[in-house]
Amino acid sequence: MSAGRWTLLYIVAARLLLALSLIGESLKEDHQLASPLNAYPRLREGTYLFNHGISPYSGGTFRHSPLFLPFFSWLPDSPYLNASLWTLVDCISAWALVSIWNARSGGVRSRGVLLASMYLINPYLFLPSLATSTASFDNALLLLAIKFACERRTPPCLFSLAFASQLSLPSILLLPPILLLLLSDAKSHLASPKSFSTSYSAVAPVVLEFFAYFATLTGAATIATGGWSWAANTWGAGLILPDLTPNPGLWWYFFTEMFDHFRPFFLMVFSMHLLIYVAPVCIKFQHDPLYATFILVGLIAMFKPYPTLADAGLFLTMFTLFPETYRYLRYPIVTALLHLHAFLLLPLFHHLWVGAGTGNANFFYASSLVFGVANGGAILDAIWAGLRIAVGEVGEDYAVMQE
Amino acid sequence: MDQEQPPEIKHKHISSLYFQQPSVRRSILIASWIVILLGVPLWWFTTAIERLPLPSTARLAFWSTDKLEARAGGRDGYTVEVVHGLDHPVVKSRHLSVPVHEAVARLPDLLLPLVYPYAAGYRRGGLEHLVAQYAPRYKLAFTLLNEDAAAGKAITGWDIHRSIQRHISPVLHRVSALHNFTIESQVHFHSPLAFEPVLANFEDGPIYGLTQDDLKVFVNSAEWSLASQVSNDPVLHFIVFVPSPSHTPLRILDNNNNLTTANAFILPQWGGIVVTNQPSDAPASHSFSADDLDGVFATFRKQLLILLGVSELPLEYELADTLISDWQLDTLYRRRATENIASSRETLESIVKLVDQIPNMPVGEDVNGDFQVALAALEDVAFTLYSFAAYHACSDSPELTLQNSARAVTHASRAFFSPGMLALLYFPPEHTYAVYTPLFFPLMGPLVATALREFAAWRKEGKQRPTNAGDEQKVKID
Amino acid sequence: MHIHALIILASLIGINSATPTQEEEYHESLTLRPLRDGKVATHFAFTTLIRGAVPRAPHSLADDDVSQHYTLFPLALGQILREYAITELHLNLNAGQWDYDRWGQPGEPAVGSGAELWVWMGDGAPTSVDARWKGTQNALAGLFCTSLGGMDAQRTTSPTRAFPPAGNLPRLSAPHTHRLRHASLPAESVCTENLTPFLKLLPCPVQAGVAALLNPHRLFDADWHGLGIDVRWIAGKGVELRMTVQAVFDPVRMSSEGKRDWTLRSLFGRVIPRACPVASSSRITVDLPADGGFVLLPDPSEIYPTSVAFNLARGMEELDISMHWSQEVRFSYPLDLTSTPISAISVDRTLKGASQTHGDLALVLRNNLHTPQRVLYLETLPWYIELYLHTLSVECGHSRPYELFGNLTYTPPVPHGSPTLLQAELILPPHERVRVAARFRKSFLRYTEHPPDAQRGWDLPPAVLVPEQGARARVYTRAVLVDLATPDFSMPYNVIIMTCTLAALVFGFVFNMLTRKFVVVYVGEKKEGDARALERVERSPSKEM
Repeated sequence: MSAGRWTLLYIVAARLLLALSLIGESLKEDHQLASPLNAYPRLREGTYLFNHGISPYSGGTFRHSPLFLPFFSWLPDSPYLNASLWTLVDCISAWALVSIWNARSGGVRSRGVLLASMYLINPYLFLPSLATSTASFDNALLLLAIKFACERRTPPCLFSLAFASQLSLPSILLLPPILLLLLSDAKSHLASPKSFSTSYSAVAPVVLEFFAYFATLTGAATIATGGWSWAANTWGAGLILPDLTPNPGLWWYFFTEMFDHFRPFFLMVFSMHLLIYVAPVCIKFQHDPLYATFILVGLIAMFKPYPTLADAGLFLTMFTLFPETYRYLRYPIVTALLHLHAFLLLPLFHHLWVGAGTGNANFFYASSLVFGVANGGAILDAIWAGLRIAVGEVGEDYAVMQE
Repeated sequence: MDQEQPPEIKHKHISSLYFQQPSVRRSILIASWIVILLGVPLWWFTTAIERLPLPSTARLAFWSTDKLEARAGGRDGYTVEVVHGLDHPVVKSRHLSVPVHEAVARLPDLLLPLVYPYAAGYRRGGLEHLVAQYAPRYKLAFTLLNEDAAAGKAITGWDIHRSIQRHISPVLHRVSALHNFTIESQVHFHSPLAFEPVLANFEDGPIYGLTQDDLKVFVNSAEWSLASQVSNDPVLHFIVFVPSPSHTPLRILDNNNNLTTANAFILPQWGGIVVTNQPSDAPASHSFSADDLDGVFATFRKQLLILLGVSELPLEYELADTLISDWQLDTLYRRRATENIASSRETLESIVKLVDQIPNMPVGEDVNGDFQVALAALEDVAFTLYSFAAYHACSDSPELTLQNSARAVTHASRAFFSPGMLALLYFPPEHTYAVYTPLFFPLMGPLVATALREFAAWRKEGKQRPTNAGDEQKVKID
Repeated sequence: MHIHALIILASLIGINSATPTQEEEYHESLTLRPLRDGKVATHFAFTTLIRGAVPRAPHSLADDDVSQHYTLFPLALGQILREYAITELHLNLNAGQWDYDRWGQPGEPAVGSGAELWVWMGDGAPTSVDARWKGTQNALAGLFCTSLGGMDAQRTTSPTRAFPPAGNLPRLSAPHTHRLRHASLPAESVCTENLTPFLKLLPCPVQAGVAALLNPHRLFDADWHGLGIDVRWIAGKGVELRMTVQAVFDPVRMSSEGKRDWTLRSLFGRVIPRACPVASSSRITVDLPADGGFVLLPDPSEIYPTSVAFNLARGMEELDISMHWSQEVRFSYPLDLTSTPISAISVDRTLKGASQTHGDLALVLRNNLHTPQRVLYLETLPWYIELYLHTLSVECGHSRPYELFGNLTYTPPVPHGSPTLLQAELILPPHERVRVAARFRKSFLRYTEHPPDAQRGWDLPPAVLVPEQGARARVYTRAVLVDLATPDFSMPYNVIIMTCTLAALVFGFVFNMLTRKFVVVYVGEKKEGDARALERVERSPSKEM
């Protein structure tokens, strides 16, 4: 095997050893790594109730999709098994990322190893996996969907996307760019934009197929739990926000401090806010749908109701798929430092607030704002770079601006 | 990407970039605006305060209740008969028999107390202020209070059931068109007075006297628990007070501290009290039988009639009816109906004024429904009074008027006191602006600016297109 | 025709006439029990029985009630019971923590601190059981000047296994049954303004009978005190009302020499002036301590092996009972009390954990008898404590957990809705300590849901252990305080502004980037003095074409 492959193997082994050493046990319900929709103890509570005949959705603890229940009620609750399973899921995600790169670049293999190791050692992705948060599953399914779309294999792509939407509803907003990706190709066209040409007759069957898979999975979930109460607890949680557990996102403190009279209105506004980005980004980047997907992954990671570090981690790792944009990034150092800043502050202030009791909620809120600014900066820089490539080089005496 | 390339060649390059085309820009703008416009009805839906419109009460201003007072009731009206051999007027149902010698001289004076007893100058002693406020349901609370049962001569029970049947139930039946009644009773064995009655020596020996001032504070609400508080109906209390041996005999004194023969008094709009002194040879404990209570309940009956507002016939009249003549009932119906109509009009007008003054006050379906029922009931009353067909109405017209007016006043006060009317009283509009501005002001900025710019560009394009029609299009706009 | 007239006549009489006066009986009793640690446990019981009475049927709430005539039974309470068609009512207001190990079993079992209210009501009325439950709370809160309004849906449960009816339940037409509603407010206090209306409900309050001893100054100074109201229906007898006052006094603390001698005057500050004229029986029982050496005055009416009784006869003069230990100079506190418990079960419940996100609930039970005991464990947790049932563990020295724990009923909590209800059977081996532990998660509340004193914490109602002997021997644990994370209360507009600014900024920049055009601008130095040096190179597309 080549040196690259050995490196990869060492990295995977190191990860596995770290996971097996059970240092992740104390991280299981860390608020940065696991949200109420993702946390492992809640999953175990749900399967326990399910196994003992109590509906897991009759209370408010279990907010995972019912599709987890059959598998995890069969799987015994062993930390070693979990460590291996989560490492396996991360390896699948890394493999999907490498396949995406191959589809995009036509097989520059050496870079593939770099990508895989970036994914595996990124702390934003590694820590949630140590904490056995099901955010790793969400990421894996999304990357698989994008991979299959790049390879133009429609049924697996749509099925993975439908599954990912079942687990985390905002992922359904990635349907338009993945659709565009399926109907064109993944190669880099950032430098030469042109309009997206296809006939509607090609689009409609794909959309229908997606919704067929989605409906089937919904039906399976309903049959597994014997009722519709799961929808209000899982998808409804992102729309109504019954659980105000702190997370690195922007929703929780806003709705903790919101007056009751305006609560339904602002819940509606924040959900619409996610929606408003989909069409413009897809229209502007119709020449390179993979880039559009990348931008939307970042926007969803920043503005979704219950984000974790893993969502931002996926966005940052996908930066590695677009090396052509690096020279046009305007402030990558600032963004990187902001992310480092946020990564250090978030756990510190969280501990000061709820652990030591010497800080208050504003500390953690401020650090989540820093995280938001870091994410926002990264997204804006990515959009600028993706558009700027098309203009190309200009002379030393010239600068490119927007008016 | 040659640096020496002249800038002119880049013009083509940049403007030919697909995503720089106006069509792309415009479709992005339109897509964003569609989402915004989709949100507007949802905004309305999630923040609207339910304010159902209240019907107009303007119609009520045009009619007055004077006509109500003037109407005579009864299928056949009232009859007066001059009869020989009578020495005093006899009242029976709606019929007055007048003795001959008074027929000519005093007929109007004789009719006045029957037809309009509330005229100024008639009421002797001014008993108007004693009448309790109208309510469709009353609770009658009968209480037997022993001042100190442990001191001896205690009354341990009473035959309340039979006494009520004998004395009170007939009255309740008679006024059943006006009110419903629930009855409750209790016995207390330790009810101290809050003050010490004065000890005075009179011809009969030492007497404990209650001065007129003492009567005002007689009811010791702090230590006596008199009626249950479960429902909202007003309560009329009837108390039998048995003084302890250390305060026997307890008598009422008049304004000049002379002994009176009265042993009972009314507290205005509250109820009546009878003081029963035990004879010195009473046993240590016994219970009152219905016969023992006859005098007490006869007093209670008179007090109840006064509290209900039944007008009194002058002493010279003989009542051949049981208890209350139809003349008195009719005047009572008219009196109560007038009060109710005035009160419900005032309440409805207050509701309208309040709702207009406070824009944030929600008006729910219950308030709206009650308001409409009250208004409809008032209009029924107006119909009964003003329509010619009803002028010769059947005999239960005063009762019908009364029932409509009762319905009006009940629903109007229920609407006025509805708890839902206070929800948003303290959310000023400035706070609303403070909540909306941070998000929408910066959000709308680029959207509106871009929309205006694109609109201006589109208009300009439209004007120029006829002039450029011949030019060759170098770049296809998809 | 005749029959119709007769029926109408009979119903007219029936509507306005009351039910014939029912026989009412009133008994009062006081039990004084000197305890091993020098304290005296007192228990007043005032029982009123209406013979032949039946609770109001729920379906009759649609019509008016018949007239209610009471002599000894309090009217205020009677009207509440009839207004809401309550079959059984139990209200307790207690302050302090009953120490089962030192004081044994109390006279009335409901000694959980704070306010506890549970009622059995039949359904089938025009209004729902929950609406009547709310009405009952409000009516009792008004009657006793106590705030029971906090017993809303977030604290109400229906633990039918732990709180079976204390009396009988009249049969209802199928499919209606009786429902239980139970709620507990551990933070409620009891004071004079609750005692005054309580005393007003008694036939002979302050001046006569046993109730004359209830002096609020001394009663609320006691180490533990509580008021209780229990109404139940006994088939064949009638409706029984039991009003109880319990207090544990400490004569050693009161006396200047540290002696445990007591008299009625030293405990209550009063003596019994005279007997109540309307009480069928009025009785004071004094339990005799196991170790002798005391003198009891005056001579009692009845003498039994372990207790004596005084009957208050009508027309008696003042009565003051005294018990003194003439041989003792000073009371010496026995040091072996907790190692020789006199209760069947000892229980302790604690919360562990310093974080505001998670904690552990630990319950330690000790069986003090020689035989194994089966107890029912009832736990009601408010919704902001989310128990992880899969972490519930039971351990005892040698037995395996599944042998100790069984028959679990669990209702998960609904956020902002209803509390957790856990009922399970535990088998306690003799003289063994059993530990039950579970992990829980603390929720984060909305800004408007925190009370004004948010830093105090939230009360968890006491857990209840019901042994096999029945609900009358039940044991209450401590009420514990749980600390939840609070947001900053001064921040609503600040948060709105900051978060909305960030969102609007990102949206603004993204939108501008997506809709604006690139231009290439010449930023170099002027060449050849060219005037067009800084001219814009890119002209607008319309001219371009």
